[in-house]
Amino acid sequence: MEYIDNIPIYLQIKETLYHKIIAHEYEPGSQLPSVRQLAVQFTANSNTVQKALKEMTEEHIIAAQRGKGNFITSDETIIGELRDRIVKSTLDETYDKLHALKMSNDEIIDSFINYVKQRDDDHE
Amino acid sequence: MSKILEIDNLSYRKNSKTILNHINLSLDSGKIIGLLGENGSGKTTLMRLIAGVNASSEKNIAVNGMTQKSKIKSQVSLSDYLDGFARSSRIDDIVRFYRNAYSDFSDEKYKEISEYLNLDASKRLSSLSTGTRGKLVIALALSRETKLYLLDEPLNGIDSMSRKKIISSIIRWKTEDSTIIISDHYVTEIASLLDDIVIIKDQTVYEVDSVENIQMKYHLGIEEYYEKVYEGGLAR
Repeated sequence: MEYIDNIPIYLQIKETLYHKIIAHEYEPGSQLPSVRQLAVQFTANSNTVQKALKEMTEEHIIAAQRGKGNFITSDETIIGELRDRIVKSTLDETYDKLHALKMSNDEIIDSFINYVKQRDDDHE
Repeated sequence: MSKILEIDNLSYRKNSKTILNHINLSLDSGKIIGLLGENGSGKTTLMRLIAGVNASSEKNIAVNGMTQKSKIKSQVSLSDYLDGFARSSRIDDIVRFYRNAYSDFSDEKYKEISEYLNLDASKRLSSLSTGTRGKLVIALALSRETKLYLLDEPLNGIDSMSRKKIISSIIRWKTEDSTIIISDHYVTEIASLLDDIVIIKDQTVYEVDSVENIQMKYHLGIEEYYEKVYEGGLAR
């Protein structure tokens, strides 16, 4: 995995795992790979992976089952909230940038609708 | 957290030239630590002093709380670039030497790591590419079951595929309670691996900090931070 140099690795690992959970690459209720497996996958140190998992546990996205490892919450509401949070933070940045260009809300919405159409057309 | 390594005011001179000056260092166990510094900054010397290969008085260095050299030697695995072996030695001759020389050498661990790294035991040292030789060095160093591993520039001159395998074997075979110190003058590739860094500059320890603190405090990656330190452009 390519990392951004000046952002703590554990935050980047956490974000990547969250994306996988939201995209159902890791299904709700399923088991996460072991710390060691994740460390190899992320080319990171076990301590760093553990730190990411600790925050995910505190945020109730995963929970440890004694002797078995870490499991993703099966509560779809929690995963939904996680998705909303990530959608919001993604849009925050775009919104702020476009507002800085003195675009009105309607202009922003219109240009986004056009953009999505354009992307869809490009795809076909 | 217990301390794996404590160095108290260590200086080292060779041929009346100061190599290391007033080194103080205290490292927590269980971590992967980057030892960074320019070529010739004394990284190798420091590692050899810690491992007890280079002579120093017994008072300054404690590994896992022990200061007696004979005890330290059984706690530390220092990567060896195999220059002491005849070029015609086969890999399995070298492994046999390790098994005899170190009572903590684990055949089982060596078997796993060497299979992972595709090392062919019948090959002679002279026939190995730099990458393969680098893999052998790491496999041998990691196969000892010790508390402290000192890997001296394990990626130096090695092709990128072999580098990836070496990095991955460090992650795979590091036990939870062991500590690994990796020296390098090129940081980017090992940056994601490191908990802490120690920067050697002007013959002494310039800085010990966690990678995370540096990222948060200076908003810099380790490579950038390290370069700034060497350029002297960082206000402290």
